[in-house]
Amino acid sequence: MDKTKKMNPLMLAVIAACIGLPFVFMGAPFILLILCYIEIYIIAVSGLDIVFGYCGQISLGHAAFYAIGAYGSVLLHKYYNVPVFFSMLIGAAIGAVIGAIVAYTCSNLVFHFLSLATQAVGEIVYILISHSPGNITGNFVGMYTDSVSIFGFKLDNQFKFYWFGLVCVLIFLALKQALINSRTGRAFMAIRENVKAADGMGIDVRMYKVKAFAMSAFYTAFAGALVTHMTKYASPDSFLYKQSVMFLTMLLFGGTGSLWGPIVGSISVLVINESLRDLQNLQMLVFGVLMLIVIIAIPGGIYGTAKEYYDNLKAKKSAGKTDAGTAVSEKKGV
Amino acid sequence: MLEANGVTIKFGGLVAVNHVNLKIRDKQITGLIGPNGAGKTTFFNCISGVYTPSEGTVIFDGRHIEGLRPYQICQAGISRTYQVINLFWKMTALENVLVGMHPRMKGGFLTDMFKTPAVRREEKEAKEKAYEWLKFVGLEKYANDPASSLPYGGQRLLEIVRGLASNCKILLLDEPAAGMNSGEKEEFDRLLQKILDMGVTILMIEHDMKLVMHICQYIYVLEYGKLLAEGVPEEVQNNPEVIRAYLGGED
Ligand SMILES: Nc1ncnc2c1ncn2[C@@H]1O[C@H](COP(=O)(O)OP(=O)(O)OP(=O)(O)O)[C@@H](O)[C@H]1O
Ligand SMILES: [Mg+2]
Repeated sequence: MDKTKKMNPLMLAVIAACIGLPFVFMGAPFILLILCYIEIYIIAVSGLDIVFGYCGQISLGHAAFYAIGAYGSVLLHKYYNVPVFFSMLIGAAIGAVIGAIVAYTCSNLVFHFLSLATQAVGEIVYILISHSPGNITGNFVGMYTDSVSIFGFKLDNQFKFYWFGLVCVLIFLALKQALINSRTGRAFMAIRENVKAADGMGIDVRMYKVKAFAMSAFYTAFAGALVTHMTKYASPDSFLYKQSVMFLTMLLFGGTGSLWGPIVGSISVLVINESLRDLQNLQMLVFGVLMLIVIIAIPGGIYGTAKEYYDNLKAKKSAGKTDAGTAVSEKKGV
Repeated sequence: MLEANGVTIKFGGLVAVNHVNLKIRDKQITGLIGPNGAGKTTFFNCISGVYTPSEGTVIFDGRHIEGLRPYQICQAGISRTYQVINLFWKMTALENVLVGMHPRMKGGFLTDMFKTPAVRREEKEAKEKAYEWLKFVGLEKYANDPASSLPYGGQRLLEIVRGLASNCKILLLDEPAAGMNSGEKEEFDRLLQKILDMGVTILMIEHDMKLVMHICQYIYVLEYGKLLAEGVPEEVQNNPEVIRAYLGGED
């Protein structure tokens, strides 16, 4: 109860920003573009959070799903005339299926090997889109596509796209929260916390890893479809390994296993990345530095660290009030 | 209810469990004792699916369960605790119990995501039930604390109640009283009785002879992987082989 009361002003500020910012920057297409990118990254990184933050399975190949969503949608639209919104959903579904297959085959791999395997998936997809059979993807030249249209209403500028993106973000985040606070979500976390015990408690670990990967891939693939139809162009450049690293940096920087972590991470890393545009060639270095900062200075990410700080403050206050010093930890010793 | 016939488990050349026959009687508490390294935990790991026996069969309620995966065995109705506590450390005590209820809940991936009325109802009932379970072992005040912040004895109890929450028919306890002081042990003795009263069958590995002799109705003794003796507490206590094994050993 106390918490919701305290969160309210912050929540209002967020809502005000979401609604107000596009109007404030209506005349600044570049800023609008950044806002749209933030929405897209929030969806993609929230997807990564499901599999990495909640289920504890690393992926260094999420650019693959980003690409599958993008190219799936573009190709379906181009060769089969599927209307753009539906093509995006199908593209995302294809991403989910491929994610499930990857997870099924890799389900016995531990951390390091899983990161290598997912990285390999990323490379394979990259090669497929840049050296496609019969040049159907336009290879390195890339290809142009249409903007999103909803019931004939074309979202052909950033301002219109922003609102569509916002609705998507809200839906995707709501579904993620619903899933996390359920039997399935707890199974994911149990796997992250202790695979052996999760197995012992009746959780079919392999199936739940498959579910987590599929859902994660759906999110990131949908984000990929969004970005392509916003920029109306797809080329392999956007789906390099460094894109996977960027997702992971955003997630770690914001904080894993939470609703707000991916949001905070997407915004901060994107803003940092954009303000260092001149260092484009050093992008990987920037990500590396950001990751080091997280690992060394703020292990929980920005949101995780802030929350811990806030919780500690609250705990101290209530402990001071009731003097219930008995309820503190003795920690697992033996 | 559960029957192990000629169960053998080998690790390379080492025969950790050697042709063990063991029967757990319905609604009783059976003890499994023996010196360190006798193969007790290994035997548990075999019943609970962590290892597949090299030889022999395990039959539970008339069904062969050897070779099944741990999650399948838990779903079949056998839950366990671990010698080294294996909780979901960053999850709250309540969530730990909710994970324990996993096999008997029905929410699927899509119904969970779209929160159908049935899932909402189930979730609400599950949370209430989980809280009841915490109360059952007196941990309700820790409901929203991470498992890692519980005192050691509380962690042991949480692991037990997490196992019980699956509505298991058999509960396997691996040295549940380890690290408890004598007061806690007495309380634990009463808790075991309450669990039995609920109709749950227990197989317990325990080094505390006082506890074992007091509560177990039947006892098996392992030494070097082999069954050394079995019987009711008085028989086992007075068995010269058992006395030799324990006096000759370190206990
Ligand atoms: N995974 C394994 N690989 C190889 N040897 C093992 C393995 N697990 C157990 N052992 C060996 O099997 C034997 C039995 O071990 P186990 O842990 O079952 O003993 P225990 O009766 O539970 O002893 P304690 O009372 O100390 O818990 C020991 O010699 C141990 O070293
Ligand atoms: Mg042992």
